[in-house]
Amino acid sequence: MLSGIDYFIVIAYIVGMLLLGLYFKKFVSSSEDYFLGGKSLPFWAIGMSIVVSDIGALDFVGVSGQAYRYGIAVGNFDWVGSVPAMLLAAFIFIPYFWRGGMYTIPEYLGRRYNKSVRTIASATWILFFALDLGVLFWASAVLLNVLMGWPIWISILSTAGVVGLYTYFGGITAVIMTDVVQMIIMFIGGFALVFLSLDAVGGWENMVEKIGAMGPEYQSHFDIIRPIDTKSPFPWTGILFGLTFVMANAYMIGNQSIVQRCLTAKNEWHAKASMIFGSALKMFIPILVLFPGLMAVVVHPNLADGDQALPMMIKTILPPGLVGLMFAAFFAGLMSSVDSLLNSTATLFTKDIYEPFIKKNADDQHYLKVGQITTLVLLGLGVATAPMSSDFPGIYVAIQTFMSYFQGPLFAILLLGIFWKRSTQWGGLSALVIGIGFAIFLNVFKAGFFTIEDPFLYISWWSFLLAFIINVVVSLMTKKHTKAELDGLVFSSKILTQTSSINKTL
Amino acid sequence: MNEAYRTTKIKTAQINQALGVFIFTFGIIITIAMVFTETFVQQMTDLFAGLVLMGIGGGMLWKSKQTLKKYKEAN
Repeated sequence: MLSGIDYFIVIAYIVGMLLLGLYFKKFVSSSEDYFLGGKSLPFWAIGMSIVVSDIGALDFVGVSGQAYRYGIAVGNFDWVGSVPAMLLAAFIFIPYFWRGGMYTIPEYLGRRYNKSVRTIASATWILFFALDLGVLFWASAVLLNVLMGWPIWISILSTAGVVGLYTYFGGITAVIMTDVVQMIIMFIGGFALVFLSLDAVGGWENMVEKIGAMGPEYQSHFDIIRPIDTKSPFPWTGILFGLTFVMANAYMIGNQSIVQRCLTAKNEWHAKASMIFGSALKMFIPILVLFPGLMAVVVHPNLADGDQALPMMIKTILPPGLVGLMFAAFFAGLMSSVDSLLNSTATLFTKDIYEPFIKKNADDQHYLKVGQITTLVLLGLGVATAPMSSDFPGIYVAIQTFMSYFQGPLFAILLLGIFWKRSTQWGGLSALVIGIGFAIFLNVFKAGFFTIEDPFLYISWWSFLLAFIINVVVSLMTKKHTKAELDGLVFSSKILTQTSSINKTL
Repeated sequence: MNEAYRTTKIKTAQINQALGVFIFTFGIIITIAMVFTETFVQQMTDLFAGLVLMGIGGGMLWKSKQTLKKYKEAN
């Protein structure tokens, strides 16, 4: 349980976040302000926001839990699973989205392929984000339950109340700027935990020695590359093909909540720089999220649930004051992930579903209101679906499972859409639909196809490959787009050297 | 200097000011929390974390004040 000073720190943090978020209401007067921050934000804030919304609460609890169960192989998600993809996004993909004045990734797919592709992609993201919200709320409940003894529903509702209010009023400016504070708090709290945990286990070498002596199942805890026949979800083939080639790129290039942040930049230079700055920060993440899980193997060797590793470390290792700081850091990550999903889903719904299908050509204030109401509806949906997450063995794996359904096919059509002029609307549509269907099929019948515990990396790879092949085959059989239809939508080497005209005005 | 550029600069400075106040205040609270710790290592960790937060928050406040002064005077 928390001591008096820790309670005070946590309460001060929550109230402060709420006030800070509400302050940003003054910057919202149009739908562009609400969804894209008026296109006026600096790279450093966006870069921090990208990192903190990505690592959030799921990584703190989920990755620490995976490190506790499987060792450092899970660190691949933040190294090869992020940095190369972020650099690729910065130099190749972001300029197209930014110059096209887009709000969403499906908007690009709609222009490149057709309206159906845009709608399916958008609906899939909305569904994923809605389910993701439930997982995030459940993560908060796990932590609050261990640290403060709060009932599950009380913790879910209090999180929803605070985050919902500032996201509703402040839009993406509130989301990004509260992320900046949250990242600073997370880094300071995270490094403090690592420092004191290392002190508690007697240093790195002592910890390695102790874990190695615990039995044969711990022998590979320090192997970052795992063999194909490993029982963990991280065989090297899955890491290389599923994570590095597909999921990392799909996440950093095709994920609305990540790319939308870059589109809030004040100019194209800031949009690209935000990704590069974010990738530099990303390299520190495994230190913060992985090490506490490893050290928990020594300090708490018999935990029934790996996801309890981090909460238990906070509870037993940190002194008064720092427990509050670390808890605030964790809560910060959770709030950041939730507010990102809320705002991105509201953007997807308003721009890709409501505007084209329900009410065209309404005034801007109307769309602003729709975005805000959608935020509230999503909040209710996330709270209602939270208990679903309790059925999964690890919160992080639950998220990856949801994502593996559609990340591969979506990235396949995005990749071919940019790099292959011959890709047609029917190629894109059939690849997306069949690819998602195939991923669901593999997930349902995974026991018959795969031997590892959770094959989400393999599922994303095979569904990507199938979608890629289908796109190529169907495109070659259907009518190609004209040069005018593809203008500004497909790769040209000029994108690497030219600066957009909008840059020059600022 | 056009109006859009000036408005963006002022907006960024106002945002930084709000962030600076929050981070600086939080730094003070963490520094005070060292009173409740038991060992020297714990005290130093609290102190260091608090000072880093105060440094970042103070820096943001100072920079935003300079920017606001410059661009509001230019109006």
